[in-house]
Amino acid sequence: MAGPLLHARGIECRYGSVQALAPMDLQINAGERIALTGPNGAGKTTLLSVLAGVRRPDDGTLEWAHAAHGRVGWVPQRPALYPRLTVRENLRLFAGLEGSDDPRAAADALIARADLGQFADRRASALSTGTMQRLNLAIALAGSPSLLLLDEPTGTLSPDQRVRLWEWLAHLVQDDGMSLVFSTQSTEEAGRNADRVLVLAGGTLRHDGPAGQLDEAAFMAMVGDDA
Amino acid sequence: MRALRAGRLLFAKDLRVLGRSRGLVAVLIGYPIVIAILLAIALSGGDRRPAVAFVNLDAASGRTVQVGDERLSIEDYATRLEDDVDLVRLGPAQAREALEDGRVSAVLTVPRGFIADLQSGLRPPVLRLATNPRSPIEAQAIERNLESAVYRLNQALATAYVTQVLDLVDLIQDGGTVGIFGRSGTLLGLAQSDRELRRVQAQLRRDDRPGLADRLDPLRDYIQGVGSNLELAKPAAQAIASPIRLEVREGAPGREPLSALGIAGALVVGIGLVGVLLAAALLSAEREDHVLSRLGRGLAGAGTIVAQKALLAAIACTAVGFVLLGVVALTTSVTVGRWLLWLPALLLAGLASGAFGLLIGALARETRTALLAGLMLALPLAVIALIPGNDIAYWASALAGFGPAARTFQGLLVDPEVTASTYAGMGVMAVVALVYGVAAGVALRRRMHA
Repeated sequence: MAGPLLHARGIECRYGSVQALAPMDLQINAGERIALTGPNGAGKTTLLSVLAGVRRPDDGTLEWAHAAHGRVGWVPQRPALYPRLTVRENLRLFAGLEGSDDPRAAADALIARADLGQFADRRASALSTGTMQRLNLAIALAGSPSLLLLDEPTGTLSPDQRVRLWEWLAHLVQDDGMSLVFSTQSTEEAGRNADRVLVLAGGTLRHDGPAGQLDEAAFMAMVGDDA
Repeated sequence: MRALRAGRLLFAKDLRVLGRSRGLVAVLIGYPIVIAILLAIALSGGDRRPAVAFVNLDAASGRTVQVGDERLSIEDYATRLEDDVDLVRLGPAQAREALEDGRVSAVLTVPRGFIADLQSGLRPPVLRLATNPRSPIEAQAIERNLESAVYRLNQALATAYVTQVLDLVDLIQDGGTVGIFGRSGTLLGLAQSDRELRRVQAQLRRDDRPGLADRLDPLRDYIQGVGSNLELAKPAAQAIASPIRLEVREGAPGREPLSALGIAGALVVGIGLVGVLLAAALLSAEREDHVLSRLGRGLAGAGTIVAQKALLAAIACTAVGFVLLGVVALTTSVTVGRWLLWLPALLLAGLASGAFGLLIGALARETRTALLAGLMLALPLAVIALIPGNDIAYWASALAGFGPAARTFQGLLVDPEVTASTYAGMGVMAVVALVYGVAAGVALRRRMHA
């Protein structure tokens, strides 16, 4: 495992009077796969949104390692893309928005990387759920991120689609050395696909440890009535 | 530089998406154009005939009035009034109720003794008109309609009376049977009187009584003088019947006529709806596609998104505006000029209505809500903008830039010279666009980082 990529210090979020995220410190290392798990309303999406830069924390700071500054790929829970554009047009647009000098070539590279060749000229609205999620992920890769943040990426997928997606993500981490932080409600999925598991409940970090240490009973004990 | 590039990419994306959403485009652009054309025809169409309740309180008298060779009743009066309004014959209570319910626009009452007054000439007969105070504009129109109808009736009556008086003058001059204002008899006539006097004078002279015959000379002078004066009175009487006559000459046959108000109304409604609906739909669609969180991570700021969509809406509005003006220029007799001034006027109107739509799009949770809210807000404001000469209506519709747009468009169409108020209208539209644009940007930024 390489050195630290991002250090979050004392980050805290509120929605009006409700504290969505209690002050917490978090370090993400290069090449690390981190699972965020916890019941609904635990603060998983809020933490990912803060790390992605979608939401500004009400308090605390994010400190990036110099070389990786800002290179984050964001995969929201629901596909964030233009349904009336084709796969290729979506990727070309987001590559352009990410500042690519040659969006056409970048889109072709992403199509190959996400194995979307046979769907390249099909409108996004016509894709199956699994393929649309792959496009959602490919768009997040358009900025060549060093940190990929995924909000419940397999929530809408069938079991075999989940398997194929995790295999692909594993290759990405292995080939590119990028870090991965994903949220899931499944401790099994967290244990199988992450190096490290964080358990959140009621906006508070209840557990931060290696994936092998967490089983269902321990998880239930941590989240208690929030589950 | 990055913002410009992002704006350009999103602009091209929006064009592509619109090109693939023919149903949506038909609704967003076709519907406002159809409404605009219908409105132009409605505002420019022929006279609208209001329904007026007719209450005859003099019916029981059954009296008629003789005017020349004609005998007129109140029904004849009513028939003549029907050239200008649709009369609904009702009783007094029914008429009052119909006016309150809005089924008729006014109540015209013929009071008791109307024909008697007309016949006697002692006092002018009066018709009573009650209008609905809740519809002052319509009330004014009906008043004008009935004033003109009563004026024409008066003129017809005056002409008939003068003809009758001239007939009487002829009778006085030539003699015969007379019947006027209910009286009749036989007149000898001035000419016959003169002939009788001559005959009597000749007889007196034959009877050697010349002195007595000469004493009748002043009487003959008087008769001749009266006859000459009565001859002079004829043109004077005709002048009294119609002191000023309006001669209307029909112009060369034109194509379908449209008024400036109709064209300006069509442009305001067309551009207003296209701008508001298109901008609201484009922005709310970004939210519905869940891309705002992605764009908000530094790919495209709220200001860039608002500016690019406002520009797209303004270009669409300008195109729609020029299409409507082109249709007017090609199919009607209205001359459309000042094309270079139309460009900034249409662009600013499009920017103002587009910015208004963007604020709605930024606040709405989904596209359908945005479209419904846009339609509900834009349509009444656009219609209010067409009420002439009302400052409250102007400033209420200025909330979406429609009031200034209507005045600017009318100014460009009819003012002989472009006035300061035309440029002021453009200035107000620019301010409206800026205010709503900034507000939409703030609302969108909150959405992106919520």
